[in-house]
Amino acid sequence: MGTEIIIPAIDPMPLPAPFWLFKVLLVLTFILHIVVMNFMFGGGLIAVWTRFFGQKNDKDQRLFKDIVPKIPSLLAATVTLGIAPLLFVQVLYGQFLYTSSIIMAWPWFLVLVLLVLAYYGFYIVSFNKDKKSRSIGWLMLISVFFIFLVGFFYSNNFTLMNTPSSWAAKYFHDPSGWNLNLSETTLIPRFLHFLVASIAIGSFLLIIIGLFRWKREQDYARFLIVRGGKWFMYATMVQFLVGIWFLISLPRELMLQFMGGNMLGTVSLLISILGGLASIFVMSNGIRNEDPRKPAIWAMGITGIVVVFMAIMRDILRTAYLSPYFKSSDLVVKTQLDVLILFLVLFVIGIAVWVLMIKKYFFTPSARAAD
Amino acid sequence: MNYPVWDVAFGAGLLIAIVAITHVFVSHFAIGGGLFLVLTEKKAYREDDASLLDWLKRHTKFFVLVTVVFGAISGVGIWFTIGLIHPSGTSALIHAYVWGWAIEWIFFFLEITAALLYLYGWNKLDRKTHLWLGWIYFIAAYLSMVVINGILAFMLTPGKWLETQNFWQGFFNPTYFPSLLLRTTFAFALAGVYALITGTLQKDLELKGKIVKWSVKWIIPAFIIIPIFAWWYIGNIPDVVWESARGKMPTATQYANSILIFSALTFLFSLLTLIKPKKVPFALSVLIFLLAFGTMGSFEFIREAIRKPYIIYDYMYANSIYKDQFPGDGGMSIQNIQQKGLLPVAKWAESKEITSENQMAAGMEIFRIQCQSCHTIDGYRGIRKVLVEKKWSQTAISRRISSLENMFNAVMPPFAGTDEERETLAAYLTTLAPVAPEDVEVTDIDISGEVVFEANCADCHEYAASDTMFVSMGKYDFSEVSYLITRLDSLSEEMPPFEGSDAEREALARWIPVQFK
Ligand code: HEC
Ligand code: HEC
Repeated sequence: MGTEIIIPAIDPMPLPAPFWLFKVLLVLTFILHIVVMNFMFGGGLIAVWTRFFGQKNDKDQRLFKDIVPKIPSLLAATVTLGIAPLLFVQVLYGQFLYTSSIIMAWPWFLVLVLLVLAYYGFYIVSFNKDKKSRSIGWLMLISVFFIFLVGFFYSNNFTLMNTPSSWAAKYFHDPSGWNLNLSETTLIPRFLHFLVASIAIGSFLLIIIGLFRWKREQDYARFLIVRGGKWFMYATMVQFLVGIWFLISLPRELMLQFMGGNMLGTVSLLISILGGLASIFVMSNGIRNEDPRKPAIWAMGITGIVVVFMAIMRDILRTAYLSPYFKSSDLVVKTQLDVLILFLVLFVIGIAVWVLMIKKYFFTPSARAAD
Repeated sequence: MNYPVWDVAFGAGLLIAIVAITHVFVSHFAIGGGLFLVLTEKKAYREDDASLLDWLKRHTKFFVLVTVVFGAISGVGIWFTIGLIHPSGTSALIHAYVWGWAIEWIFFFLEITAALLYLYGWNKLDRKTHLWLGWIYFIAAYLSMVVINGILAFMLTPGKWLETQNFWQGFFNPTYFPSLLLRTTFAFALAGVYALITGTLQKDLELKGKIVKWSVKWIIPAFIIIPIFAWWYIGNIPDVVWESARGKMPTATQYANSILIFSALTFLFSLLTLIKPKKVPFALSVLIFLLAFGTMGSFEFIREAIRKPYIIYDYMYANSIYKDQFPGDGGMSIQNIQQKGLLPVAKWAESKEITSENQMAAGMEIFRIQCQSCHTIDGYRGIRKVLVEKKWSQTAISRRISSLENMFNAVMPPFAGTDEERETLAAYLTTLAPVAPEDVEVTDIDISGEVVFEANCADCHEYAASDTMFVSMGKYDFSEVSYLITRLDSLSEEMPPFEGSDAEREALARWIPVQFK
């Protein structure tokens, strides 16, 4: 046994809204989640690297000190923004995701433990006054490593979910949940693809801090933007290699989706490649300028577009993987229109309140200084 | 059934309980604590008390570290955990309530943002804006409970939803409002309980006394009101369900007793702090904290226990089998499985048919698929312990399996499977605690009939005049009853044979006819 393919039945309850709406929400919220995750994880990696391998000069020291207080809030945002796509992916693909999660239940459960530990680690580092002690560097390293593991477990689960043919053997071999998906050939390139992207986009954290500091201390701000730009360029160059590795590691029919097989997939890949090249070009020219701000913003903008197309490609890939087992037309839809409308109304109000909070927080003059 | 079963040796149910109770204890604090922060901040401004304000700043940090970090991750944690242990139930909840969850997510997002800005805003914002953020925090946090509470209460009392599958009818179900008010009150109490923790650490005795008095003001009234809402809550649970906690289900009854003890002690020790507020030691606040934890934990345990055998009442059993057959159920209803067999219907059974070679493996799989959502072999609700203690023969085990739904106020689903599967499961269970023949022969001269009844009959029969056992045996005299006891398994298909010694049988036979006379 163990060679059969078992696919759990679709939940008998109807989908409470059309498939496409969940799809749009899934991809959209995933993009938000992944970008913030990249800021948190990539920013954390760069901070740790700078701490251990950076120069002992003032600027490198300050860079660490400036990044680490941002990490806890970014982790909060990562988790919060991650809940939505996790919800929507369960509605659409529950029969796949629940199964793969159960097969690797303990690592999946450990995600929570690791997150809590990393979270407290980040807070301790961020609340530490001068951040000079050795243990602070190590604590940051360990916390970032925990996030690394979380990401690795996610890659395991989201590849396992796509490959039902490997489930039965794994589950019946060990039903107690101590499995990973290490036998999957795309696992490592896929995970590296996300890791390197985190560094590329995490570098924007430096650039954005630089942009905000420009008025006050141009010299340091320029250093941040140039340093961020370099991380971005090198990471994106490496990404070309990793991306090709990922692409050719895919099963042939799936790879061909992006080479003419699927129109949107092919166009997305082309745009991503061109976008990647363009952003490297703009950034490398820009950081030689006395004022690198404009080109850096351009490079970030282009990358933002690339991220959107990458997320679309990710979805096309999942659809292709699951196409033998899943057709959206099998789903019964019975829209809960009243609740859906309520959601949309509250969503708009929520955004308004959120923006208002942010505005009041950042743009009310500091009256407390004298308090 | 539809999904593989995660084999957690120490107990899947226990794992859920640990994650859920720690989360609930923090998330209720996150709600009550929000109001506590703003009201205490206002109080400090009003009384122009700089040291109170100073403490509140530090308390905010504690608050954020507990709620935003542990509270948020453990909340996601419950979701992860029930998805791993009750995937079909989780899927049902997500399908029925995805827009509810999505709405909750909006509030959650606002809540987290507001909490962080409130914390970082202490040294940056003017008083008005800072308080405004605190209010936004509290309102968002409260609204997220308003949503979640609907879904939690739905699982116990789905009400009209069962017929209509209508979102709102399931959401505003019979226990919605009592449960919401009960949780609200408890949330306020917890604000005080947590404040005592940081409060009693203060060196400044004036300040400490003030904080203690103020915190206890949150606990005492709440604990006076809680019984009223609890009574209302219980009143909205169907009586037959609530009977589980009134003796019929040993564990639920235990939790119901412990909640009384824990809450009474929380109340008393909180009162005690008022005698010398300035002198309250940190240890006492920790004790109150633990007692409150016991109260909340017992509440969640009762809720989980009396909901058994269901994960969604009258819709799906805890082992993911549907109560009734309906189109689209994938064949995973009790009726269909009893007809076709568990192993052929369950998607994740490795042994599809029973042979003489795979009997033990198949028995183990049946146990895993059907019993393990509530039981384990050696861990939480471990079955071996029971078997070792009761020394049932294979026939007795098999009969009990066909009578699961008659035991303990029907907290177990009926066995779903064929006769052959039942025998296979019984054979497997027998191997867990092999019975040596000499073990069965215990004779004792002064055996009490009541003890024999408790040990052999009370799982399914109630000590009540109306119970079939007393009705039917009350008519006979000692010798007739004594004879009937030897033939229990032929009296009812669902009854195990009597396996006590002759002396025990006689004691029982003497005892039964004289009850209720
Ligand atoms: C919905 C959860 C649930 C399921 C599923 C379940 N049980 Fe139980 N079972 C319980 C509970 C709860 C108790 C104990 C009640 C108490 O002590 O409060 C129990 C008690 C028992 C006992 C102990 C009886 C005694 O005299 O102490 C046996 C034996 C048992 N179950 C066997 C099984 C078998 C075999 C299966 C699978 C076919 C099964 N149960 C499935 C919840 C469940
Ligand atoms: C595993 C559950 C179970 C246990 C244990 C059990 N019974 Fe029963 N018993 C039943 C069920 C089910 C019925 C049928 C109930 C009904 O018809 O309402 C029943 C019915 C009876 C009846 C009425 C039979 C008739 O049709 O008139 C008697 C008498 C009885 N039991 C005696 C006992 C005695 C004595 C014991 C303990 C030695 C015992 N039972 C233990 C499940 C059990």
